[in-house]
Amino acid sequence: MQKIPLMTARAGMILARDIFRSEFAIGMPICGKDTELTDTLIARLENLKVQSVYVEGHPVREEGDRGLDDILRDLDSRFIKVRQDPLTAKLHDIFTDYLKRSMGEFGGRKTD
Amino acid sequence: MDEKQTELKKIIMDTKTLPTLPSVITKLNSLSDNDKSSVQEMARIVSSDQVLSARILRLANSPSYGFYRVSTISKAMILLGVNVVKSLAISSSIFEVMEKNSVGLWEHSLGTGVVSNLIARKLGLPESEEIATAGLLHDIGKVIINLKCSEAECEVRRIVDEKKIYMREAEHEIIGTDHAEVGGWLAKNWFLPDKLAEPINCHHNVEASENHRIKTSVVHIADVLIKASGFGDSGDSYVPPIQQAAWDALKLNEQIIAEFVEDMEEKLVEVKNFSLELQQSCVAPPS
Repeated sequence: MQKIPLMTARAGMILARDIFRSEFAIGMPICGKDTELTDTLIARLENLKVQSVYVEGHPVREEGDRGLDDILRDLDSRFIKVRQDPLTAKLHDIFTDYLKRSMGEFGGRKTD
Repeated sequence: MDEKQTELKKIIMDTKTLPTLPSVITKLNSLSDNDKSSVQEMARIVSSDQVLSARILRLANSPSYGFYRVSTISKAMILLGVNVVKSLAISSSIFEVMEKNSVGLWEHSLGTGVVSNLIARKLGLPESEEIATAGLLHDIGKVIINLKCSEAECEVRRIVDEKKIYMREAEHEIIGTDHAEVGGWLAKNWFLPDKLAEPINCHHNVEASENHRIKTSVVHIADVLIKASGFGDSGDSYVPPIQQAAWDALKLNEQIIAEFVEDMEEKLVEVKNFSLELQQSCVAPPS
């Protein structure tokens, strides 16, 4: 399952969670899970100001077609100046953990 | 500071060449100083400038505030407060430049606004809309440096690449000042309230913040988190160190930071969508 910006949703993707209207305190359901997206449906969701949807698999790769290893390497290079700083090093570990958990489930390209 | 630096600083800090303020803002300023004026009255003044209203509403509907469909200026004033609407009106010209010329910086600013709001709400801080606005505006100094001295800015970027240093360090080397100071100065010149000017001025030096340390700390932490996630482009790709003063002021711990990271990454999907929509509408205006 992946949460994607609606702008990157394409016909053929399968919804992994129900979509609710977000502007009400108790959102009205608009579309159930397991529905296959079509261009018309995507346009309707756009009109309803839906910002993001959950879809099956891991169809959208925002930063090119990259696996967990590459993403972790980028993370390390962003933190290169602050690895010795105790507070910021903690943040690095938290991010590494988060990425492993959220990407690890799909093992990068394995779901393709 | 050598002669060249002084010269560049003078150009950047010259008030005569600042992007001008719409006359609406001057009227709004005099009204908001008067206790007797009503929100409706102020909203009517802003609404009289349609281009400005459209820009304000677009920012008010950005994920930084989390209310979608703010459809009128008077609603925006009630939901976000007069201060926030005024600040958005004042800075809307800056955002226009940012959207067109530096999408990376626009995404970085938008992201920092969103995360500032998220932190403020999570910690139950008052005036979360104002904190979000400070986050949104924290790097306006960079736009001003770019606008007034694009050559110096190119030089700054070259040094960042060459020496692999923070943008702020490069700015000091070339201009003898940095974007935080320029932004803070600009905020004061535009009469933005101190609770916005101080976080802009001190987001790289939380200890220097005296009256609004909590707000400054939130913006600082939000900036660090956004840079850590690699969202947008603020000029260099290096995560700055988390400042102890901010950590203490907000009484942070590892658990809370882990929650911030989780919530932020969820939210950034929406921010990306907002930014993609804007870019698309810039390329092909709806017929």
